[in-house]
Amino acid sequence: MKKSTEILIIGGGATGCGVLFDLAQRGFKCILVERGALSMGTSGRFHGLLHSGGRYAVNDFDAAVECIEENNILRKVIPHCIEDTGGLFVSVPGDPLDFTDKFYFGCKQAGIPVEEIAIAEALRREPLLNPGITRAFTVPDGSVETWEACRTLTESAAEFGAETLVYHEIVDILKSQGKVTGAVAKNTVTGETVTIEADMVVSAAGAWGGQIAHMAGCEVTVYAGKGTMIAMNYRMVNTVVNRCIHPHDGDIIVPIGSVAVIGTTSVKVSDPDNYAIEDWEIKLMLDEGEKLIPTFKKFRALRAWAGVRPLYQDKSAGSDLRDVTRKYTLLDHNSRDGVDGFVTITGGKWTTYRLMAEHTADLVCKKLNVTRPGKTATTVLKNPHKDFAGQYFTLGQRLEKLEKGELSGQLICECEIVTRPQIEHHLAHNDWNIINDLRRDLRLGMGPCQGGFCTYRAAGIMHQHKQLSATQTNKALVDFLQALVDFLQERWKGMSTVLWGQHLRQMQLDEGIYVGLLGLDKLPTELSGTNQPRLGEIETEGYYEIGH
Amino acid sequence: MNYDTVIIGAGLAGLTTACHLAQAKQKVALMSTGIGSLVLASGCIDVLGFQPAASQQPVINPAKQLGAFLTEQPEHPYHHLGQAKIEASLGAFLELVEGYEGSFDKNWLLPSTAGAVHPTCLAPKALAQGELSQGGSMLIVGFKELRDFYPSLISHNLNAQNLGVQSEAITIDAPPPLRERMNITPIELAHAFEQAEFRQQIVTEIRDKVKNCNRVGFPAVLGLQQHATVLADLERQLGRTVFEISTLPPSVPGRRLFEQLRHYFLQHGGRLTIGSKVVDGTIESGRVSQIRIETASRLQAIKAQNYILATGSIFGGGLQTDNEGRVWEAVFNLPIEHETNRHAWFDKGFLAPQGQPVARYGVQVNDRFNPVNSQTEPLATNLHAVGGLLANSVWTQGRTGDGVAVATAWRVRELLG
Ligand SMILES: Cc1cc2nc3c(=O)[nH]c(=O)nc-3n(C[C@H](O)[C@H](O)[C@H](O)COP(=O)(O)OP(=O)(O)OC[C@H]3O[C@@H](n4cnc5c(N)ncnc54)[C@H](O)[C@@H]3O)c2cc1C
Ligand SMILES: Cc1cc2nc3c(=O)[nH]c(=O)nc-3n(C[C@H](O)[C@H](O)[C@H](O)COP(=O)(O)OP(=O)(O)OC[C@H]3O[C@@H](n4cnc5c(N)ncnc54)[C@H](O)[C@@H]3O)c2cc1C
Repeated sequence: MKKSTEILIIGGGATGCGVLFDLAQRGFKCILVERGALSMGTSGRFHGLLHSGGRYAVNDFDAAVECIEENNILRKVIPHCIEDTGGLFVSVPGDPLDFTDKFYFGCKQAGIPVEEIAIAEALRREPLLNPGITRAFTVPDGSVETWEACRTLTESAAEFGAETLVYHEIVDILKSQGKVTGAVAKNTVTGETVTIEADMVVSAAGAWGGQIAHMAGCEVTVYAGKGTMIAMNYRMVNTVVNRCIHPHDGDIIVPIGSVAVIGTTSVKVSDPDNYAIEDWEIKLMLDEGEKLIPTFKKFRALRAWAGVRPLYQDKSAGSDLRDVTRKYTLLDHNSRDGVDGFVTITGGKWTTYRLMAEHTADLVCKKLNVTRPGKTATTVLKNPHKDFAGQYFTLGQRLEKLEKGELSGQLICECEIVTRPQIEHHLAHNDWNIINDLRRDLRLGMGPCQGGFCTYRAAGIMHQHKQLSATQTNKALVDFLQALVDFLQERWKGMSTVLWGQHLRQMQLDEGIYVGLLGLDKLPTELSGTNQPRLGEIETEGYYEIGH
Repeated sequence: MNYDTVIIGAGLAGLTTACHLAQAKQKVALMSTGIGSLVLASGCIDVLGFQPAASQQPVINPAKQLGAFLTEQPEHPYHHLGQAKIEASLGAFLELVEGYEGSFDKNWLLPSTAGAVHPTCLAPKALAQGELSQGGSMLIVGFKELRDFYPSLISHNLNAQNLGVQSEAITIDAPPPLRERMNITPIELAHAFEQAEFRQQIVTEIRDKVKNCNRVGFPAVLGLQQHATVLADLERQLGRTVFEISTLPPSVPGRRLFEQLRHYFLQHGGRLTIGSKVVDGTIESGRVSQIRIETASRLQAIKAQNYILATGSIFGGGLQTDNEGRVWEAVFNLPIEHETNRHAWFDKGFLAPQGQPVARYGVQVNDRFNPVNSQTEPLATNLHAVGGLLANSVWTQGRTGDGVAVATAWRVRELLG
């Protein structure tokens, strides 16, 4: 198959989706290609924090300013993807007190609305917080729903005629006379290849940016900075809680959905697709969690996952990755490497995706010699749920929608409140038989029970809905069973790093269901653990092998 | 109060032991925090379903294949029992319960909740009637309101495996009063099936479909106390053999089995306390002198001649684990051999053919089922461990969990009776 377009964008994370929307809005014909589902790279394996900039107020002033500016903009343009949790910075006993003043003045200088509040007030807002905290400040942190955001961006871009190809991996970059002329994508489900001709190619492949640049004959060093996070079985705080210290491992707790997530660590790894979650990371984060919330370890750790920060460096990075800048990198490969028609955007933060996209689109315009100003800072994107237009996301909305009758019906995932009509609606709009997409789309299986019951239910509904039995082909059935096995296997990877106590009991119940009652291990599938799962089933949260 | 025997844990192992000892006229108390995996699992008694354990081919004759299994699994608790004792235990189990069918030399091959083949030794009649080797055609009926049963998935898998049965699926609305109720459980459906009118409406709805098939399969929800009546009535009205297929938990057949064993035990003078946790036990000069249970206000000591530990494995609560890589036995703190590196507890694969290493952990015993120390000396001669708590009783391996529970229960009765 052949396609042609003006701009080809590689990578469906926040940055790529942002670039797609920006360029489409400026009137360019665009195609975005993503090897997995949208937000399946770092954008789906991050900590979920809409930074206020407070975290960078002392060490990285420019980043702090960028964050608060973008924070203010995103709250206006994609409110439905943001939960306005607010943020707290607190000092626990033993934390250096001189830092807190620097923090406060740093915030002020960067334009971050910061306010010191009484300890009693902080404890009133967050009763589980360490009662020994010595200072507390509020900042406008929030949490973001990345899957909703990427969906909104690509759907809004589609209204300007842009196209999004998921489950397509770029395998080659086409060049002619030193200029990039397009790329070859392989459908990761069917194996088919698609050649896409383009006037310009934008690589927004995050930590994979080096690999894409290499295909175009340019050498770009993007290090992968792995960070691990743990989801706990209870939303123990409703505010983002940060330690008021120099950025550190395990110093932030973010409330997301029905759980709370602690993170992160920061370790350099060589391969962005293959890294381990190590035991010391788990121990360290649980210990650090206890400093903020003394009962932290009494809650259950549900799963651990890691993502890789794209860290661009001209020279070799030192071992402490926190020194490498978190600001982003925009490369024009014509001036840098003499390869025209090719641009790389990498690094940065989720919070600054829009700004990165705008600068990238500005560069594209400049290279094509056209003047088309960007408008994304002032364009409010459409909330698919009209009733909540202009509002922040709140946990209550999900229930409210159901109560109003929107896709209400049989409850399939009790923890995250996912209904059968929601699943059927999703299936009607997606061709692929990928159970993990249900998770990304609906948060199925993300809550405390980690999919024990609802995975079987979702599989049963999917089987019925897609009328797989009507086709009666064994291949369709085996594919379907494999998707189920792969999904469970990927959950296992996320869970097995944090299994002990009650959570281990829960796992044995799941084993009872899938082995004892279903006999899934006796059906004709490749038993997981050794083979590579289908890309779509790769866990967005829950990478990867256990470190030994 | 002084007992002949106190049993800790009311899972399949503890309850079966309790029934046998009560039948042997002992004064028996059974103390348990909860009711174990019995009410979650299929309600069948799996003794040996696959050999080699990782094989996808079901065992047809478990008695014949036991030797090979023992060779393959040199540490399995079946080594303390052997063929004759396992066989005797199944006979003894059939004396305790009504409506179970089967024997050690033939596995039933039944459809699982996903349409895989579930080989099992003893099954309640309604499940046994789903025997796949009989062939013929079957209609599998599900209910829209029941989230935990998908007939088309079951039927598709059964047909694809070329087992000699042709199956068809149909999903209908549950009749009132359950219709429009969006999230009903198997237990609620089972209660509804006990109403003649409810059954009548189902029969009317599927009658036409039933004409072209030999058997009709339902999720395992065909009544609780009135189960036999419900089954007979449906068969009479439909003019077909009717069978049940397990659902996701809670399990109605498991609940029926629990009620039968409980009833038997109470009828034979046993004392049952559910909801009390045994917190510790004392071993003095080679004998258990007492255990203590948690009551609302204090710890209460209980004394008996003999003590049976039937607290199950990690899932049951018999073994506890923590973040530091510790694994311990919950009541007597019996020695448990284990890795302290938590990562060694797990295989890379969730459905690992050789099972999860952590499932091997448990209490080591001698041939009299007394817990032993690392020199294989008994720690207490009046203490016996049974069921899933035993070391190397990995039920996923060959599907032997129920067999271990039932056979060790009988063996202990022989030793104490
Ligand atoms: C542990 C951790 C925590 C973080 N927490 C936060 C936070 O709380 N707040 C915040 O603002 N930022 C946070 N960040 C940073 C933020 O997540 C990233 O900077 C941001 O998500 C990067 O987005 P991206 O779109 O550039 O890259 P990605 O999201 O990685 O997107 C790149 C995409 O390219 C695709 N791709 C790769 N190769 C190919 C190919 N050959 N063909 C097609 N597609 C390809 C990948 O599948 C991927 O989807 C965190 C990062 C980490 C690692
Ligand atoms: C969903 C599911 C499906 C299964 N499927 C199969 C299968 O297909 N094939 C198979 O062979 N096996 C299967 N099994 C495993 C099988 O059910 C068990 O191996 C077997 O039932 C173990 O029985 P048990 O009585 O030893 O332990 P359990 O059933 O775990 O019972 C232990 C009992 O001890 C009590 N207890 C624990 N600690 C204390 C204490 N301190 N004080 C008082 N009481 C205590 C508990 O409350 C519980 O009642 C399955 C298990 C589950 C959960």
